[in-house]
Amino acid sequence: MADPKMKFLVVDDFSTMRRIVRNLLKELGYSNVDEAEDGAMALSKLKNEQFDFVISDWNMPVMNGLDMLKSIRADAALAKLPVLMVTAEAKKENIIAAAQAGANGYVVKPFTAATLDEKLAKIFEKLEKVGA
Amino acid sequence: MEAARPGELAEGGEGQSQEELLARVGQMTRSLHDSLRGLDFDKLIERAAYDIPDARDRLDYVARLTEQAAQKVLNATELASPLQDSLASGADALADAWRAALAGDGMPAASRALAERTLGYLAQARTDSDTTRAHLMDIMMAQDFQDLTGQVIRKVTELAHGLEQQLVQLLVDYAPGDIRRETNTGLLNGPQINPNASPDVVADQAQVDDLLESLGF
Repeated sequence: MADPKMKFLVVDDFSTMRRIVRNLLKELGYSNVDEAEDGAMALSKLKNEQFDFVISDWNMPVMNGLDMLKSIRADAALAKLPVLMVTAEAKKENIIAAAQAGANGYVVKPFTAATLDEKLAKIFEKLEKVGA
Repeated sequence: MEAARPGELAEGGEGQSQEELLARVGQMTRSLHDSLRGLDFDKLIERAAYDIPDARDRLDYVARLTEQAAQKVLNATELASPLQDSLASGADALADAWRAALAGDGMPAASRALAERTLGYLAQARTDSDTTRAHLMDIMMAQDFQDLTGQVIRKVTELAHGLEQQLVQLLVDYAPGDIRRETNTGLLNGPQINPNASPDVVADQAQVDDLLESLGF
């Protein structure tokens, strides 16, 4: 089981969705959550504070989620940060592009609480295996 | 104007049919322009210039009001969930106290029956509050429509804006212009309105998982 104190960054340009993800995380036992409105704001938060997990939308103004993911993977200090994409982009080429850019998981909106729970668990499980 | 003959487009090479297509679009534009001039040309320009921004305002209005409604619902569910939690934990604590009292000898028989009924009620209160909490979660999750419809509305608004510019430009330029529209919008296509209609779009999470698995994830 992952540490309930781990810090999440939820990145989405729609405040409704940020609140929903924040509430879902709380329901799953993670109450240490911060939010960002776009990829650029998220990157600046990631560089200045310690985060353990990023949940990000794709289509956002200023900097989209894929570009943010690429920047994270290209930054030595952030490269290993787990990133779960939660997005309405549902084309196969999107999923392939995200996987190639180094996403740890991909959830298509609209999603259920159970799906988010399952994907988080799967990512933690894989991270533990790598860490062990 | 000549009637369309689709068979012609299929013949010849790719380049030839492309040229034919462009020539026909040019003819249609010219014909449209001539017809417009025959009608109330000025008024049509005016209407196009006025109607599209109006349509955009209306869509913005829909986006704004649905977001407000979603935020109100989220405010309410965020306030109601902890209330259910404290109802449930209060019921549990009272039930424990009643059980402890029943375990002693001091309680008269008449009160014991009442205590048992109270215990039954407290157990039901715990179950009901858990169920209510689950319903509140469903209500919260349902607000994700606002993100999805909001993205669609934003796309249509952008489309209307582009259409408006093109139309005005066409009328201003007075000549068959290059009005080819960019159809491939790359990786930002947003919520799929009809995912089963397109083979390059996933219809559900299971298909996402299958695709990722095939990529070794």
